[in-house]
Amino acid sequence: MTGLAAALAAEHAAIFAYGPIGVRLDGAARREARAAEEAHRSRRDALVVLLSAEGASPPPAEPAYALPFPVTDRTSALRLAIHIEERTAAAWRAALPETTGDQRAQVLDGLIDCAVRATRWRRFAGVAPLTVPFPGRPD
Amino acid sequence: MPTAALAGCGLFDREPDPSPTPDPLAELITGALELAAQHEAAIAAHPELTSRLEPLARAHRQHAAELARISGTPTPSATPAATPTAAQPAGGDIQALLASLREAEQAGQRAAVEACRAAPAHHAALLGSIAAARATHVEVLA
Repeated sequence: MTGLAAALAAEHAAIFAYGPIGVRLDGAARREARAAEEAHRSRRDALVVLLSAEGASPPPAEPAYALPFPVTDRTSALRLAIHIEERTAAAWRAALPETTGDQRAQVLDGLIDCAVRATRWRRFAGVAPLTVPFPGRPD
Repeated sequence: MPTAALAGCGLFDREPDPSPTPDPLAELITGALELAAQHEAAIAAHPELTSRLEPLARAHRQHAAELARISGTPTPSATPAATPTAAQPAGGDIQALLASLREAEQAGQRAAVEACRAAPAHHAALLGSIAAARATHVEVLA
């Protein structure tokens, strides 16, 4: 799978995860989750267009995705939101080397958006520090 | 013949360009060290900002070290804090100070985005992470 196809697969998984995340949140955090899900849908759509234009067949969404841990309350929902944004950031970052020009700028926007949302979720969760030195870099 | 001589003169009379092709990695290293120094100066002036700004200063120093590593230049980690280029607002106005740091991070983000866009494939991921890190710093300072 190319980096762009892997980024699309990560976006499918992120959109799925925001379902269980959203129902465990309320107020500003719930609005943030809704906005994040919308942003991931936009990125997904743009990737489908991009991959199709290149003659590649975009990987479809799975019917369901296994969550890395159960989401039972606000704390676990916020933890999953951080995890999802970090994982999606990593997928976008991994696609950077195979792109150039406007396509690279688009992929970089995807990485930046995920990194910023991860920081917002850490703030909601009261996690410190709010940032990591190299967003998307594998540990 | 006079034409050729004139053209020759013109060629040699031109001011030598000190850096015809500035190294984009060197510029990013300098920028990272300046951003680190700005946060460190802010912490020195307002120790209550330490927990908020210290991770940002440390990230910039890590960026500079990693950029130096991939460009094969001596690691700048031993370099003492550079003199902050941007003047710190006088009078201890924390809000103005944070706003100036935010502007510096935004400019740094733009520079890193440009560098990532123009970079060869083997530098794209690191430069992308640095651009993303600076975007998260803007968020922290918002």
